[in-house]
Amino acid sequence: MKKHCTRSMLVAVVLLASLALFAQGAKEPAGPTTIELWYGAAVTEAGPPPSDWVGFEIIREKLGIELKLTALPSNESDQDVKVQAAAAANNLPDLFMVRRDVLGRLVPQGLIAPVDDLYAKMPVRTANHYDAVSKSHARIGGKTYGLADPGSIMKNEGLLIRKDWLDNLGLEIPKTTDELLTVMRAFSFNDPDGNGRNDTWGYGAFQEINNYEAWPGRRLEPLFGAFGVDGTWSLEETGAGLNLLKPEFYDAMLFLKQIADEGIIDPNWLSYKKDDFRAAWKQGRFGIMREQNAAFAAQSNYAPFDKNFPQGNWVIIDPPKGPQGKASIGPYTANFRIYAISAKAAKEGKTDKIAALLEWMASEEGYYLLGWGVEGVNYTKDANGIPVAANLPNADLAFSAPGGQTVTQLRNMVFYNGDIELYARYPKYTTEVSKKEMSALAVLREMQTKAWTAQIGSDTLPIPNADLKRFYEQGLSEFITGKRSLTPAAWSKWLDEFKRLGGQDWNDKGVAFARENNLLTN
Amino acid sequence: MLLMKLRKSQGRYRRVGTSFVAIKPSKSDYVFNFLVDLFLLVLLVIIAVPLWSTITLSFRPNDYIGNNLQGMFLAPWEWSSAAYKALLGNQGFILAFKNSFLILVGGVASALVLTIPLAYVLSIPTLPGRKYLNLLIIVPYVFNVGMIPSYLLVTNLGLIDHLAAIFLPGAISTYNCLIMRSFFEGLPNELKESARIDGASEIQVLLRIILPLSKAIIMTIGLFYGVSFWNDFFHAMLYLNSNLLQPLPILLRNILMASGMNEYVEVSAFGDAPIAAIKAASVFMSAIPMIAAYPFIQKYFTKGTLLGSVKG
Repeated sequence: MKKHCTRSMLVAVVLLASLALFAQGAKEPAGPTTIELWYGAAVTEAGPPPSDWVGFEIIREKLGIELKLTALPSNESDQDVKVQAAAAANNLPDLFMVRRDVLGRLVPQGLIAPVDDLYAKMPVRTANHYDAVSKSHARIGGKTYGLADPGSIMKNEGLLIRKDWLDNLGLEIPKTTDELLTVMRAFSFNDPDGNGRNDTWGYGAFQEINNYEAWPGRRLEPLFGAFGVDGTWSLEETGAGLNLLKPEFYDAMLFLKQIADEGIIDPNWLSYKKDDFRAAWKQGRFGIMREQNAAFAAQSNYAPFDKNFPQGNWVIIDPPKGPQGKASIGPYTANFRIYAISAKAAKEGKTDKIAALLEWMASEEGYYLLGWGVEGVNYTKDANGIPVAANLPNADLAFSAPGGQTVTQLRNMVFYNGDIELYARYPKYTTEVSKKEMSALAVLREMQTKAWTAQIGSDTLPIPNADLKRFYEQGLSEFITGKRSLTPAAWSKWLDEFKRLGGQDWNDKGVAFARENNLLTN
Repeated sequence: MLLMKLRKSQGRYRRVGTSFVAIKPSKSDYVFNFLVDLFLLVLLVIIAVPLWSTITLSFRPNDYIGNNLQGMFLAPWEWSSAAYKALLGNQGFILAFKNSFLILVGGVASALVLTIPLAYVLSIPTLPGRKYLNLLIIVPYVFNVGMIPSYLLVTNLGLIDHLAAIFLPGAISTYNCLIMRSFFEGLPNELKESARIDGASEIQVLLRIILPLSKAIIMTIGLFYGVSFWNDFFHAMLYLNSNLLQPLPILLRNILMASGMNEYVEVSAFGDAPIAAIKAASVFMSAIPMIAAYPFIQKYFTKGTLLGSVKG
């Protein structure tokens, strides 16, 4: 018995040793590499691509990649929380979308892999998606840590005026701030829509604020542009810094206060949200506004206005010139969606696979599949090769229908605002009631011809702390609403307080950052 | 002062021999009752106005354009169920609803199964080390560990991408446990003693004596747990990566964030229904289960919370 046991043990030891020997020379299983991707969904609430989405199969078979998708939350701060929690647990996915300032915090922790070598491995994608500005956008300490893909279209907003109201009142399109005031007064007090009621205003807006368009925000930039102080920052070499600190900003504030005091701006502008604002112009409450091309002219967005005012006619105008002859619709910047690769993924040797995946997305097959779905199912091509939602066996699955949304959730990873996308996104149509021919693309092209202020990179400049931001926004709004009197002395005193609370420091840091990152222009 | 008045106003009858004679309420009773009624009316308005506003908004038709929104709010003359049809026809919404329901059921069940024994054990005065055990659960309650350690724990437990990640880490709420413990402590000790004398084990005492007497507190604590699990957005956002597992609060958040969804493209996830109506309908529908549950649990609610809070 003892002999039998000893023999058995000996055999077991030999077998185990041989297994170890084989294991040393064994290759990794030839199965697909799993790539975990946290993406920014095109329409988050529509849900992810279905498990039988053809893209998964193509990616598995052609690239040897098992793609595991997670849609990031639609809200940016929620995205930040999710990414940062995963980072803290060293559990970042292989490839993920991340905001620039979060990226800036993750890189020093060694959690992100540089991507400088990847551009050469993705020639098609690099040609279409990444230029010098894009590459420098995610550069930290001399290395690029994120693939910055083109975001929303630049200069896609414009100043619009109700031409039918101008015609009704026998007025011309305003070209200067003085003429603008005259028109706004007429729109407010001369019953431009002829309904016999005093229910219209000259200008309509709401407070839409972001890093580079501080209070009063985007919708009023054309007014501040007339004084050369549109946007949070001035990025001109001479006089770089916060626009707020310039004397012209005070003049712009006086102009806005005059508009508010005369009651020629929709008084709800301080309380409107985006939806309210958009409902208001469709209800004919005001005759001048700054609006985005598709929000104005896309079929479903224009339809309520068309139904309500078949004779209504908005036209795009040049921004009004101020006393010094300056004019601007507002600042524009190149915005990006950054995709970063985790250091963990790089360590696991997944970088080349990720490059292959991204390059495939930029290929004709990937571009159309992710952008519009399957040809013949989700789209067809018109005579010019533009994807259209016509002649489909099931119209509910069209890329422009609710049923087609899930299969194009990754479209933001392949779109770069090329002509095909724009033609497909903004097709020409005839309005239902007034039978006008409309095109959000034609509107976009016209908006882009107007005067804008180039401020590339201004969205990456330092932001103030919450207290200073509150002081800034509250103070300015109090000057306009009359809670503070807008006099040179009061303004100067308020500016001193602003500087003392950290405004000067914010200004200096911003200028230093802009200079360091070559953002200043001559 | 208020309490004194309350006591006075409650004595509407006084006993005379074997019969009761009504006491005429004093002037101060009338004033007090009026103020209470007024307060409740204001409270009702505060609750009802936003709810009604949400409901009318959810039925607003897509082509409704009018300046008289107040009129539309008070007496909606144009109704459209497009938003509800769009939501109920949306696979994502149904899936999210199902996930939320699973979290609700799993969460409430596991929370009660874990909380009741703990509360019961802590309510036994003779339990060795009872003070230290109490301290052990109260200290983490006061000094919350924070997001990152919790995330690490859930990750290391392999719960990422499991619905259990939403309810298991928070299955025992210290606050709820303390309320329940106080309730158990308030039950007559003689009942437990007699059961023990009859040979019942502690588990039998809990199951056969304590639980049948604790319907009110169980329903109340179950409701507390249910509401918190039903509304949990944050943990779902952190711990659930698979979009197929997303519960209603996540979808709701996405819908509410989608104000600019028609801005860049000619599509929406919900067809032609107006986005404002979709938002309102989704808010209302996600609130329905909790609104529906309250009337059935209400009768236990006051009793349960009051009983649990007498002793502590």
